[in-house]
Amino acid sequence: MEKLQKLIVAIILLSTLSCSQDILDKEPLSSFSAQGFYKTTSDAQAGVYGIYESLQSNYRINFAYWGEGRADAVETNHSGDPLLLKQNTLNKTMRSAQWTSLYQTISRANYAIKYVPEVSQSEFGFRLIGEARALRALSYFYAVRIWGDVPLITEPYESVEQELFVERTDKELVLDQIVEDLKYAAENCNENFGGERDRVLITQGGANALLTQVYMWRKDYQNASITADLVLDNSLYSLVSMADWSKIFTTGFSNESIFEVGYNDVQTNALRVLYALGSDSDYFPSEKFKNSFEDNDLRQTKIYDTTAAEPRKIWKYFGEGFNDESSDPSSNNIVLIRLADIILLKAEALYELGQTDEALDLVNIIRTRAGLPNLDEASAIAAYGDVQSAILHERSIELSYEGHRWFDLVRTGKAIQVMQPINGLSDEANLVWPLHEDALNRNPNLDQNSFYQ
Amino acid sequence: MNKKINRHPVGFKKSFNSVSRSVATTMLFLFVSILSYAQEATISGTVTNMNTGEPLLGVNVILKGTSKGVSTDLDGNYSIQQIAPGAVLSFSFLGFESKDVSVGSQISIDVALSPVTNELDELVIVGYGKKKKRNLTGSISSVGSEEIEKTNQQDAVSILQGRAAGVQVTSNSGAPGGAMTIRVRGNSSLNSGNDPLYVVDGVPIESNSLSSLNGSENFGLNPLADINPGDIESIEVLKDAASTAIYGSRAANGVVMITTKRGKEGKAQINLNVFTGVSEITRKLSVLNASQYRAVILDSYRNMDNPVEPIFAVLDSLSPKNNGDVDWQEELLRVAPQYKIDLSVRGGSENVKYSWSSSFLNQDGVILNNNYKRVTSRLNVDFNATDKLKFGQSISYTNAINNRINAGGSGNLSVVRELLIRPPTYAMYLPDGSLNGYQFGKRNPVGLAELATHLNKTNRIIGNEYAEYQFTDALKLRSNVNLDFVAMKEDEFIPSSLDYRPGYNTGAVRSLTNLTWGNETYLTFDKQLNEVHNLSGLLGFSFQNWKYEQTGLDGMLFPSDNIRTLNGAGTISGQEVNISTEHSMLSYFGRMSYDYKGKYLAEVNLRADGSSRFGADNRFGYFPSASVGWRFSDEGFLQDNTVINDAKLRFSAGQTGNEAIGNYTSQGEFAVGVNYLDYSGAAPTVMPNAGLTWETTTQYDIGLDLSLWNNRVNLTTDYYVKLTEDLLYNVPIPRTTGFSFITQNIGSIENKGIEFTLTTRNLVGDFKWDTNFNISSNSNRVKDLPDELLTNGYIQNGKYHILREGLPIGTFYGYKFNGVYSRDEDNVNQITNGSQGTVFKGGDPIWEDVNGDNIIDADDRQIIGDATPDFFGGITNNLSYKNFSLGVFFQFSYGNDIYSEINHQRNSVVRYNNLSTDALNRWREQGDVTDFPRPLRDDPLESDSRIQSRWVEDGSYIKLKNVNLSYSFPEAIIGRIGLSKLDAYVTGINLITWTKYTGFDPDVNSYSGLRAGVDEGSYPQSRTIILGLNFGF
Repeated sequence: MEKLQKLIVAIILLSTLSCSQDILDKEPLSSFSAQGFYKTTSDAQAGVYGIYESLQSNYRINFAYWGEGRADAVETNHSGDPLLLKQNTLNKTMRSAQWTSLYQTISRANYAIKYVPEVSQSEFGFRLIGEARALRALSYFYAVRIWGDVPLITEPYESVEQELFVERTDKELVLDQIVEDLKYAAENCNENFGGERDRVLITQGGANALLTQVYMWRKDYQNASITADLVLDNSLYSLVSMADWSKIFTTGFSNESIFEVGYNDVQTNALRVLYALGSDSDYFPSEKFKNSFEDNDLRQTKIYDTTAAEPRKIWKYFGEGFNDESSDPSSNNIVLIRLADIILLKAEALYELGQTDEALDLVNIIRTRAGLPNLDEASAIAAYGDVQSAILHERSIELSYEGHRWFDLVRTGKAIQVMQPINGLSDEANLVWPLHEDALNRNPNLDQNSFYQ
Repeated sequence: MNKKINRHPVGFKKSFNSVSRSVATTMLFLFVSILSYAQEATISGTVTNMNTGEPLLGVNVILKGTSKGVSTDLDGNYSIQQIAPGAVLSFSFLGFESKDVSVGSQISIDVALSPVTNELDELVIVGYGKKKKRNLTGSISSVGSEEIEKTNQQDAVSILQGRAAGVQVTSNSGAPGGAMTIRVRGNSSLNSGNDPLYVVDGVPIESNSLSSLNGSENFGLNPLADINPGDIESIEVLKDAASTAIYGSRAANGVVMITTKRGKEGKAQINLNVFTGVSEITRKLSVLNASQYRAVILDSYRNMDNPVEPIFAVLDSLSPKNNGDVDWQEELLRVAPQYKIDLSVRGGSENVKYSWSSSFLNQDGVILNNNYKRVTSRLNVDFNATDKLKFGQSISYTNAINNRINAGGSGNLSVVRELLIRPPTYAMYLPDGSLNGYQFGKRNPVGLAELATHLNKTNRIIGNEYAEYQFTDALKLRSNVNLDFVAMKEDEFIPSSLDYRPGYNTGAVRSLTNLTWGNETYLTFDKQLNEVHNLSGLLGFSFQNWKYEQTGLDGMLFPSDNIRTLNGAGTISGQEVNISTEHSMLSYFGRMSYDYKGKYLAEVNLRADGSSRFGADNRFGYFPSASVGWRFSDEGFLQDNTVINDAKLRFSAGQTGNEAIGNYTSQGEFAVGVNYLDYSGAAPTVMPNAGLTWETTTQYDIGLDLSLWNNRVNLTTDYYVKLTEDLLYNVPIPRTTGFSFITQNIGSIENKGIEFTLTTRNLVGDFKWDTNFNISSNSNRVKDLPDELLTNGYIQNGKYHILREGLPIGTFYGYKFNGVYSRDEDNVNQITNGSQGTVFKGGDPIWEDVNGDNIIDADDRQIIGDATPDFFGGITNNLSYKNFSLGVFFQFSYGNDIYSEINHQRNSVVRYNNLSTDALNRWREQGDVTDFPRPLRDDPLESDSRIQSRWVEDGSYIKLKNVNLSYSFPEAIIGRIGLSKLDAYVTGINLITWTKYTGFDPDVNSYSGLRAGVDEGSYPQSRTIILGLNFGF
C-alpha cells in the first residue's frame, strides 16, 4: 500500500512539472499571424493578389454610383443612392459616401509595400511592389476625386500605438503621392504577363494609362500627352472592331482593355442590378442621353434597348437584345481603363496644348469605328460649340456608363453648367461627396466637407 | 386542437375543487371520531418509514399531555396500556415528522412516519466538490431531478427558465433543439461571450453552438440539448464570486453545474418512462387576403408624387402565378407529434455502483418538415478497488439528427418571414402542378420548408474517468481525465425550383470535429479539530485543450436538384473550406474553508489561469475570492425563539475572468483564401494587439438565508454588485486603417441586482402543498467607455441598439413615432424630411423633432426602448393528495421592450410584403385619423426604413409554462403485475401566455449576443400537451 502511495505522489509530481508553459503557445493553424506572414516569395505574391481581391467589392457597384450617378446620362426610379445622387441630395448615410473598401485596398497595399522588400530584392519583388503602389494610387485617385482632401496613409497598421485618428491631407499632396506611386509602377511593373493577366493585373501600360488620367485631372496636359503616347505605342493595346465592341464588356479581356477588375461566377458584381434587371434596374438612359446620339451611330443599339419607347435596360454590359428579370449577381469584368479612353484623353490634352488638328485626328479614329463622319475644327464647332465639347461628347457616348462621365464633367469644369438644369447643382463645394457618418463617428479628427456641414 | 388546449385550465380548476371538497370531508370525519367514546384499552401497532416501508426502531410513543410512553422495538412494534378512547398518541422520532393519532375504538394503530425534508441538509454541488446547503457562504441556485422530470422539456437550459433566481433565459428559436440565450446576473461583456461555463459531472463542456450552416439565422443550435434531462440529478447555477472564482477566467458569467444520476447501493431499479405528445403554434398572426393586399399595393402607387405604372405582374389577378389567395400560415404550420422513451437501470453493491440509461426522442416541429431525433446513452460507474482506491467513469453518447428549417433571420430564405409577408396573391402551384417559386424577391415558404435541405447530424461523447485515493480519513486525492468530443456534419441545399434563375441551385457541406480534453488533479482535505473547528481545503491543477477542425465545400449549379451531394456541383465555390484552430489553458487552483461549530464560516479561493489566447506578456491571470458567513440563529439571543430555525448572513467578494475572444486575436491574423479570380491571395483581417488580456469581473454579494416555522418557510435573498472591467471590445477604429475594429481592453459594465427565493411548505400531511417562488431584478449599465469611441456620445450596437455610458446594454435607439398627420395642414411647422427634403403631409408619420429645428434627420433619434426586464422569475406550486400530484409553474418577465422587426416587415409595403390587418386602418384621405401611415412606394420619406418606436412593444408576459398532473397507481394493484411503480401523467408546456406583445411570442431573441430583445421573425414557440407512463420494475 505504501508503494502505491509513493507511486501516486510520483505521478502527480511528474505531471505537474511536465506541464510547462510551452503548451500555451499556439500559432494559428489555418491562417497566418500578423508576424507569421510575408516570409516567402509565395507569401509576397499572395499578399499582392489579396490587394486585387479588395477591388472586387470596391467597384462592384460603386464604379457606377461614383462615375455615373451624379451625371446626365442616367435616369433612375430607385430610392437610396441612385435617387440621392441623381437629385443631388447626397447625405452622410448614403452608401457611396463610404470609403471603407478603398482604404482596405490601401491597407493591404501598405502591408505589401512594407514587407515585400524583406522577402525579395529582385525584379520579382519590385514588380509586386509596383503593382501594390499602382493599386494604392488607384484607390487614392478615386478618394480625392470623391471627397477632396482625404487621410493619406502609407504605412500598414500593426499596433495600437500607431496614430489611428489621421487628419485629412491636402488633396494636392495626395495627388503627388499618387503620381510618385504610379511612376514607380510604370517603371517596375511587368511589361506584360501574356494572356488574360495582361488585362486584370497592373502592367506598365496600366500604370501609364492611370497616370494619364491623373495628369488630366491635374490639368498637366504635357505629361498626360507623354504618358498617353506610351500607352498608344504599347503593342498590348489595339482598338477592336465595331463588331467586337460589345465584347469588350460582355466577355472582357479584349485587346482594347488596359485594366479591368476581374469577376467570375463566384466573385460577382452588381452590373445586372445596376443596368439590366428587366423592368426595374437601378439605371436607365436619360432622355438627354438618348437624344445626344448623332444619326447612324453604330454604338447606339449596343448601348441600350432602342426598341422600347421608354427603355429600361442598358445593354452595354450584356449585349444587344439582353432581356431577363433576374436580379442575380453578374460575373462580367468591370473595365476601368481602356484604350479608347486614353486616345480621347490624349486628344483633349493635345487640344489644350493647341494642337487641335492632331486632337481631332484621334477623335476621328473613334468616330470612324462608330460609323460616324470625321470632324474637323469647323464641323466640331458647328455641332458642339467648341472642340473640347466635341471631344467630351465623344467620350460621353464611347465611354457611356463606364464610370467616367461625372469625373469628366468635374475635371473640365462643366459639372454645374450641365447638371444645374437637371438637379439644381450650383455650388462648387457640392462637387465632392459628404464624408460618411460612420467615418466621422470613428475619427474625431475628421471634419465634414463644408457643403455638408 | 386549439379549443382542446384552451379548455385545459378549466379542467384543472375542476379537479382543484374536488380536492378541496375531499379535504373538508376528511376533516369532518376526524372531528366526529374525536367525539366518540369507549373503554380504556391496550393499544399496539407498528411504526414504519413512510418512504421505504421499513420498520423504525426507537420511536417514542407518548400519551399526549402525560409523560407516559414507550419506544418501538427492533421490528417497529410497540404496545401501550390503559389508553382511553379519545386520547391522543404522539409518535416522534429524530429525523422524522412527528404525528399525533387519536384513539378511537380500535386497539391496533399502525403509523407511518415521513422523514423530515430539511432543505438545509441537502448537498449542493460546488466547484470541485459538494457542500451542505447549510454551510454555503456563496450564492447558488439549484434545481433538482424531481422538478426536472416534471417539466418534460428536452434541454437543461429551458428547464432553468424561471426556476433559478438571477438566471434569465430567453429563446432564440422555438424549434426542437433550437438555441437559447442564458444570462446569469446580466450581461457582463460587450464582445466576448456572455454565456456561463457549463460543467457536466466535473467536465467543462463546449457550450457554444458549433453549427456553421445556420441559414440566415443569427444563432446556432443548443449544445445543451445533447444532454438528456432524464439523466440529470441536479442543476446548480453558481452565481457569486465565492462560488465561481474556482473556475477563474471562464467564470465571469456564472457556472452551470450539471450532475447526472449515479447508482446507489441496493437492488437494481429498472425504470421505463414513455410519453407522447403534440405541439401547436401558440398563436397565428393576422394577414391580408388577396383583394385587401392588392388594394394596399395600388394605394402605395397612387400615393407617389409622380405616380408610375404599378408592376403589373404583382397585381395581375389573371396570371396563374398571381391569382392565388393563400394563407401561408395555414399551409405551413401544423400540429406536430413527439414521443420519447427513457429506460434506465440503477443499482449496485457495496463496491460497484452503476447507472445505465438510454433515451430516444422523436420530435416534430410545428413548421412543415422540421424534425428532431435524439438518441442518448449514458453509463456512470463507481467502484472501489481497495478500501482506499476508488475508480469510476461517466460516459455519455448522443446522436442527434436535426432536420432544420431556415426559420429566422432577415433574408428571403427565412421561412418564418416568408410565411408572413409573401403576398397571398402568389399562387401555391402553377397550372402544370409545379411549385410557384420565386417572385419579386419572395420565395415560396412551403417550398423552402419541404424542398430545401438543412440537415445537422451531431455525434457527441462526453466522458470523464477518475481515480480517487484516500490517503487518510482527512486527505483525498482525485485525478480525472475528461473529454468532450463532437463530430458534426451539416448539409444544406437550396434547389433551383426555389430560385429565379433556371438551374440555379446552391449546396454546402460542412464537417467538423471539436475535441475538448483535459486533466484535473486535486487534493482535498477535510478535518474536524476538537469537535468545534472544521477545516477543509482543496489544491490542484488542470490542463485543458480545445481543438476545432472543419472542412467544407460550397457548390452551385448542380445539374439536378436530386443530386445534392457536392460531387454533383457544377461549380465548387467554397471558401474557408478547411479550418483548424486550437487553444489551451493551464491552471492552478486552491480553496480553504473553515468554520467554528458551523456558526462562523469563512472560505478563500484562488485560481491562476494561463491562456494561449493572450499576448505572451499577459498569459496568466489570478482570480481570488473570499467569503464569510454568520449563522446568527446559533447565537444565544435567538436560542429560545421558536420561529427561526436557521438564519445565516453571508458576504462574498472576488474576481473572475472572461477569455472568450478569438483564439489568435492578440497575434493578428492574415487570412488565406482571399482569392482574386483563380489567383490565391491573402490579406490582413485582424489587427494585432499584443497587450490583450482578460476581462476582469469583481463581484460583491451579500445574502441572507432564513428557515422559519419548523423549516416550512425557507427564504434566500441576495444583493450583488458586479463590475466588469478591461472589457474585451472590438473597438471601432477609423476604416482608413484598413480594419473596422481592434480588440482592446476598454471600459466597464456594472450589474447590480437583487434575488429572492421563497420556498414554503404550505400544507403537510396527506394533502401536501409546496410553493417555490423566485424573482430577480438586475439593473445593467455601461459604466465607462473611452471617449475616443464616442463621437456622438454612443456606440452603435448593430442596427437597433446603442451602447452609451449610464444606459443598459439592450437600449434601442431610433426615431419616435407620434402617429400620423391627419391633414396636410396638421404639419404646422412645415417639418421636412432632411435638410432639403420634402415637407411631411397628411398620411405621413409624425416624427418627434427632438431638437426643434423642423428638420427630421439623424439628430432626432432618441432612446426608444430597453430590452432589459425590470424583473423576472417564476412560481411553482406542487400539490399532492394521496396518489395524485399536480405541479403548476408560471414564469414571468416584466418591463422589457421588444423591437419587433417582424411587425415592421408585416407592415412594410415597400417590398410588396403582405401586411397585417392593421393596414385596413391605413390613412387614405385628408382628415383620416389613424396611426397607420399612407402606404407609399419606394419609401422616399424613409417612413419605412427608419428604426422607430412604432415597432417597439412592451414585451412583458406571464406564462403558464408548465402543468404536470400525475397519478401513482397503488402498490396493491401494480404489485400484482410485477411492477414496483406505475405513474401516469399529463403535462402541458407553454399553455397560456398573457402579454401585450403582438408578434408570435414575447419569449423571443433573434440575436444570440448583446442585441437582446429583437424579433426578426424567429421560429415561433409552441404549446405542447404530453401524456406519459412511468414504469418501475
